[in-house]
Amino acid sequence: MNEKTKLATISWSLVLILALLLPVFCNYDKYILHTGISIAFNIALATSMWLIWTLGFVSFAHAGFMGIGAYTSALLFTRLGWPLWVNMWLAAGMAAMIALIISVPLMRTRAVYFFMASWAIGEVIKRIFAYYREFFGGWDGIFDILPPKLSIFGLKIDFASRIAYYYLALVFCTLIVYAIYRINRSRTGMIYWSIHEGETLAQHVGINILKHKVIAFTVACFFAGLTGALYAHYHTYINPKTFDIWQSEFSLVHIIVGGLNTVAGPILGALILTIVDELLRPTGYYRVIFFGIIVILTVLFMPGGLETIPDKVRSLVNRFRNNRKEAPADAVTYHR
Amino acid sequence: MSLDTFTQMTLTGVNLGLMYALIAIGLTLIFGIMRIIQYAHGELFMLGAYVLYYWFAVLKWPYWLGIIASAVIIFILGVGLQVLLFRPLHGKNILYSLAVSMGLIFIISSGGLIGFGTVVRGIPSIVTGGVFILGAFFTYERMVISLFSAVLIAALWFFLQRTTLGIAMRAVSEDPEVSSLQGVNTQRIHWIAFGLGSALAAVAGCLMGTLMSIVPTMGFMATMKAFMIVIMGGLGSVVGALIGGFIIGFIDSFLTTIISADVAYIMGFMAIFVILVFKPAGLFGQQWE
Repeated sequence: MNEKTKLATISWSLVLILALLLPVFCNYDKYILHTGISIAFNIALATSMWLIWTLGFVSFAHAGFMGIGAYTSALLFTRLGWPLWVNMWLAAGMAAMIALIISVPLMRTRAVYFFMASWAIGEVIKRIFAYYREFFGGWDGIFDILPPKLSIFGLKIDFASRIAYYYLALVFCTLIVYAIYRINRSRTGMIYWSIHEGETLAQHVGINILKHKVIAFTVACFFAGLTGALYAHYHTYINPKTFDIWQSEFSLVHIIVGGLNTVAGPILGALILTIVDELLRPTGYYRVIFFGIIVILTVLFMPGGLETIPDKVRSLVNRFRNNRKEAPADAVTYHR
Repeated sequence: MSLDTFTQMTLTGVNLGLMYALIAIGLTLIFGIMRIIQYAHGELFMLGAYVLYYWFAVLKWPYWLGIIASAVIIFILGVGLQVLLFRPLHGKNILYSLAVSMGLIFIISSGGLIGFGTVVRGIPSIVTGGVFILGAFFTYERMVISLFSAVLIAALWFFLQRTTLGIAMRAVSEDPEVSSLQGVNTQRIHWIAFGLGSALAAVAGCLMGTLMSIVPTMGFMATMKAFMIVIMGGLGSVVGALIGGFIIGFIDSFLTTIISADVAYIMGFMAIFVILVFKPAGLFGQQWE
């Protein structure tokens, strides 16, 4: 197990270094950097959605909370002229606050009913943005949300450049992923998984499940709001359609294809599927069909997702080493 | 608000409510019996409407036979989907059936855009003309369609209450293990329920396609309405689906006329949220673990 952790640390550090060096490798190509930024947003969204999943829920309101973050930041910028550096924390705080208020009644519902209730919340958030034309801009959305500028140590960085924004997105994506990784590894993370495995049993050993559900939901929505603020200032334009249920669904697809049991799942899923998505862009509608086929095949034939591949490879190698003298040392486990 | 507007909205509400109830009853059968999320229900609704379109508007074959043909074709398709994709997922976490049906939505709706084209189409009316009821204009077409939906729902109610197969289906929805101990072949009930639910969606698609226009992307609207209604009424409850259908039908009809479509959506979802908060298993539903 220790060797495994070491290997994981090394490979993730390698991924991070590769991500840091990406602009050099791709020769500052704007399109590839744009893809990189999209990947960072998708990873942040999928990972924070996965945090809710560790308690056994799938929230379809997640893109809605990203929208709350995006709209808060956009409105603060266009109305008051505040910079992103202030806005994004206020945006995340706003998303978290609304999540906190909503989640108390929301957490009364379970399983399918939770799925529908969270869908309803996401849809109401979107429709409210669309309905109040004067304040939120209606279906047309909000324009001219400019990227920020920063000057430190006499160095002036304009984040309108793709490279600068790429590093900004990368930094925040890494922070979000690391925070969620630490939460998941802590005692709190264990409590979350115990609620996932058996709510009644968790209650019996003295865990206040409502408190933990509310806190986890709020924290995840905080990260979603943060991502939303960064998203708004990158695209400079947002409308309610960006934050509808499809965005949540794509995040869910990323999690399922990547894997549900460790934080590596959403990262891998978002990373690989965004790249595949971009590669298939010229094929038009066939791209979506291909996406659907990937999801169905993953669920039917690889229910553990991409993250189980290293384990499968390892057990294959072990079997080869032992030369079929004994059973494979560590079998593939689907449950944590 | 004058009386004729009120009558008009009520009649539209009843009409919409009956059709929504048809879609939702199909979904609630699948839900209650298989205990999976069939998120692509609306895509079968869309395919049903297109079968009738090609049958009646393109090939000029008889209308009512077209509805039967649509129901049969979608029944077979539904059974095929159940056997191939949903049977292996039975009893697993609902997330997996959600994911598979999400994949189906991607495939069917994009396949529809490729195969049927992005043009908005319409199925020609079979009966024309209308009548004034208390100052409100009600077309014969809407009347025939409402009547047909009502008869179909009543027939389904009779089927579930009186026939052996219907009682077996209710038994499986109530308690799968005990009913299989009583000699009910649950596997068989599963595919029949899935096919029947899909066929109901197809019929609803035909009727709604006749009244309104059809596009390959209309499936998601139907999925959304069906989920709203089924969750509101409670999973597996036919009465709940009927009542939920009327609630959503009336909200849509009244609020869209008085204020706007966006408000109708917001209020519909608010109604669901409030119902779920106070009755976490819907109005008449079973609680899942």
